Amino acid sequence: MTEKKPPTLEEFRVRAALTGLPLTPEDIEHLHKGYAGLLSLMERIPTRWAWAAEPPHVFRADE
Amino acid sequence: MSKRSTSDLTALSIAEAGSLMARGEVTSTALTEAFLARIAAVDHKIASFVTLTADKARNAARQADMELSQGVRRGPLHGIPIGLKDIYETEGVLTTGHSHLRADYVPAVDAETVRRLKAGGAVILGKLATHEFANGAMTPDQPFPPARNPWNTAYQPGGSSSGSGAAVAAALCMGAMGSDTGGSIRNPAGFCGTAGIKPTYGLVSRCGIFPLSFSFDTAGPLAWTVEDNALMLDVLAGYDPNDQGSAKAPKVDYGASTQRPIEGMRIALARTWYEGNLTADMAKGMDEAVRALRDQGAIVEEVVFPDIWDYHVCGRVVITVEAHAIHRQEVIETPEKFGYTTRRRFQLGAFLTAEEYLRALRFRRKLQVDTRAAMRGYDLIMAPNQWGPPEIFEEPQEIFHFLGKPSLSMPFNVTGQPALTVCCGFGIDGLPLAFQLAGRPFDEASVFAAGSAYERATPWRLRRPTL
Repeated sequence: MTEKKPPTLEEFRVRAALTGLPLTPEDIEHLHKGYAGLLSLMERIPTRWAWAAEPPHVFRADE
Repeated sequence: MSKRSTSDLTALSIAEAGSLMARGEVTSTALTEAFLARIAAVDHKIASFVTLTADKARNAARQADMELSQGVRRGPLHGIPIGLKDIYETEGVLTTGHSHLRADYVPAVDAETVRRLKAGGAVILGKLATHEFANGAMTPDQPFPPARNPWNTAYQPGGSSSGSGAAVAAALCMGAMGSDTGGSIRNPAGFCGTAGIKPTYGLVSRCGIFPLSFSFDTAGPLAWTVEDNALMLDVLAGYDPNDQGSAKAPKVDYGASTQRPIEGMRIALARTWYEGNLTADMAKGMDEAVRALRDQGAIVEEVVFPDIWDYHVCGRVVITVEAHAIHRQEVIETPEKFGYTTRRRFQLGAFLTAEEYLRALRFRRKLQVDTRAAMRGYDLIMAPNQWGPPEIFEEPQEIFHFLGKPSLSMPFNVTGQPALTVCCGFGIDGLPLAFQLAGRPFDEASVFAAGSAYERATPWRLRRPTL
């Protein structure tokens, strides 16, 4: 499930360390802002789906 | 054969040039030389080409002329000079993605689309500027200068197919290939005043084109007129077993579809997506475009579709995760080689979870179904192409640009429908305005019919930028 509250910069730094990416402090600040913004937008995406609702692995526009 | 000036030749449409060549009134060599001369004269002002392949173009033009003299015409692009966004792999020709990471990359094989263009007799003039890997903004830390808008070089041309839009508008090639993952054909087409189509997902092969997001990546053309886009798609469309997303769609004569009458065609206007948020010029352009289509006999009615933000966030999550997966290794090993905006856009996907990604994909299917339901009884959807004018050249784009306004082009990347950009006039600043027409999946023919009818009824194709 998505976290409802965006992480603080400190919490985000901890998470960033687990990504395997070599990030500068400036990268982390930008990414924190981007992530918090995206997380807020993602509240529009429903969290509850029928358990068997299958995502389109190979999308076909004419299905 | 009548003598035509260079400017006469470069102002021709693909359809006009094709007719003249078929009648022996113009040669491909003359056309190609006219475009090479114009590129030499003006491209330094807009930086649309990153690699020019003049010798190869001259050879291809000679071959096209020789074949024509023997009565062989391969199709509507025979002898037609075009350009390629620099993410299309080209045999023996540098393909950089506008990035230091591919600064020396020379592919051994053409992309399938390039193969089709060459087999159709097209003359490739060279490779065109792009936002880095079709995703990053234009930043000064990239290996080539960013393209500028030919209508006013103080503005950006839009992107990511920035060079494609700029070159077509500036009459530096008759058509260009772009790619559209979240609007990257339609955005520069709109801001540069050309036409451009994102075909139905699966209609045109992506094999040999640098990927950004497998679920959304779409290849397509930009050209000055809707009819020219249709002629390019006639050559480009078709099944490719080497592209996992490729569809086996019936062959359609897109060029012929541009002559279809649109009387009685039903168009759903997605007014709720933009009401109250367009600039005054753009709102006026939309209203007048609706009126022009009604004058042609189309029935335009307002229809409520899912919220524009739903498409926007769905698309952005999928693109962010897939782009990260594609570029992860280089983002880890050589982050300094990316532009500073591109790098951060590619890093962000590392913070999204698998569940969030799959939720966005499930949402995609729901939006596709809901859009189809809302469109029931209509042939096309009509919406603005852009909120207002392009960004100023000197103002760098926000790193996470998607946190501002929602993308007006993203709905049709999410649904996979074909979507065409059509110029609908100019603002008081002289910059182009544009709207979109989207059709049912694989019904590019209706999109072209309406777009072409609109162009014939309006004077906008007569105005070109002066450089």
